[in-house]
Amino acid sequence: MTENKANENWEPKIIAFVCNWCTYAGADLAGISRLQYPPNVRLVRLPCSGRVNPFYVVKALQEGADGVLVSGCHPGECHYITGNLSARRKFSMLKNFLSYVGIEPDRTLFTWVSASEGEKFAHVVKGVTEKVKALGPAKKLVKKFE
Amino acid sequence: MENIEKQLREEAKKLLAEKKVDVIVGYEEGTLPYQAAPCFIEDPESAERLVWNKYCSVNLAKYVHDLIFQHKESQKRTKPEERTKKIVGVVARGCTTRSIVLHLQEKQYDRDQVVVIGVPCTGYISKKKLAAAVDGKEVIECSVAGDALSVTTVDGTKDIPLKEVTAANCLTCRFNNPVISDMMIGDPAPAMDVDNEYKEVDEFESLSEEERWTYFTKEMGKCIRCYACRNTCPSCYCKVCFVEQSQPKWVGAGIDETDTQVFQFMRMFHMAGRCVDCGSCLEVCPMGVDLRTFLKKLDKDAYNLFDEYRVGESLDTLPPLSAHSTEDKEEFIFEP
Repeated sequence: MTENKANENWEPKIIAFVCNWCTYAGADLAGISRLQYPPNVRLVRLPCSGRVNPFYVVKALQEGADGVLVSGCHPGECHYITGNLSARRKFSMLKNFLSYVGIEPDRTLFTWVSASEGEKFAHVVKGVTEKVKALGPAKKLVKKFE
Repeated sequence: MENIEKQLREEAKKLLAEKKVDVIVGYEEGTLPYQAAPCFIEDPESAERLVWNKYCSVNLAKYVHDLIFQHKESQKRTKPEERTKKIVGVVARGCTTRSIVLHLQEKQYDRDQVVVIGVPCTGYISKKKLAAAVDGKEVIECSVAGDALSVTTVDGTKDIPLKEVTAANCLTCRFNNPVISDMMIGDPAPAMDVDNEYKEVDEFESLSEEERWTYFTKEMGKCIRCYACRNTCPSCYCKVCFVEQSQPKWVGAGIDETDTQVFQFMRMFHMAGRCVDCGSCLEVCPMGVDLRTFLKKLDKDAYNLFDEYRVGESLDTLPPLSAHSTEDKEEFIFEP
């Protein structure tokens, strides 16, 4: 695993925090429907997108993720009624603040994928992987483990 | 100023004598000529110690929270019917009252537990700016005369315009008068240069990504993780701060620079929609880390994204991250 962008074999590591009720089910549907999407995304299942502590995103970036994706139910469709609305407020500020200190905005992406949107999930993962690939390996905020 | 001080002492004396408060948090003369230190007054005679001047810097809302909280903790093993309430009086300027409003909104204590003695404020003198103005020489004597500060060092006496040494957050302050108060002392003060409130943020935003990152790493590189900023911040009142948590361990305790960056980033992010811009963190920082450029951005975002929200402006509008709305903007959502 080399960190050289020039190396054509470099593949980004992307952590996705997804909600149990929509995006995780959407990912499941994508799998059942045998849709092809890049294998760079590692899913972490959480009860709700509102459960995603902004710290998870920052910590993932610090510990070597090249990109972070957070995805939940569409606004108004949250299993817990308003979890994703709180999440939306948190993440709009987090994304602005991360790019304000100088971290590439495309490293942290937020989206909504419902349980019936298997195709959208595959599409999102493709899109995220392309965006992160274009940026190259993460260098900022990354902790070096010797 | 002297008039306010006199009235302040009288009011404090009265409150304590009538037993309307258990303790008054205020400022007393510090050990250095340009310093005022926080103090706790418990008997009417000591009210004479109170001062109100240009050197009163740190936000006292932190002590209000600490006192009430400690009292609550100490009563854990007391029968519920025998528990007492601690009533704290506080000498409060605009930013201190905004912090109190935030505490009340976040249900930290009840409104009847705090007696706010409101004072108008025209800004305090930043110790860092003063030190820079006298080239780090020791200040032997200093006093305010009109629009200038006359400072005596080993090199002699010199007059420095107040504007040059007033803290940056005070120069663009719009809350010069208390937002809530039980009694007001003195005449209301006029607002400062509010049009340039976000000037630094706008300038920083116009820099390139690399320049911003370089500045961020440079500033955070100065931080020695003494946590003075956290300890003085009225909005930082968690029982256990994330830096001290070990399960999970959020930030490493070593000298790794990314740990410091992550600590500062997250502490500042916890101020999203909660920072009152009182400047206490800057005032106590021993290394002179520029936190304000970043904290002010969160303030600006909260204002722009969530219906022109200003922290602690009124008791009715909740902090943006404590509320939600279906109408929020979502341009940031990724739709491939």
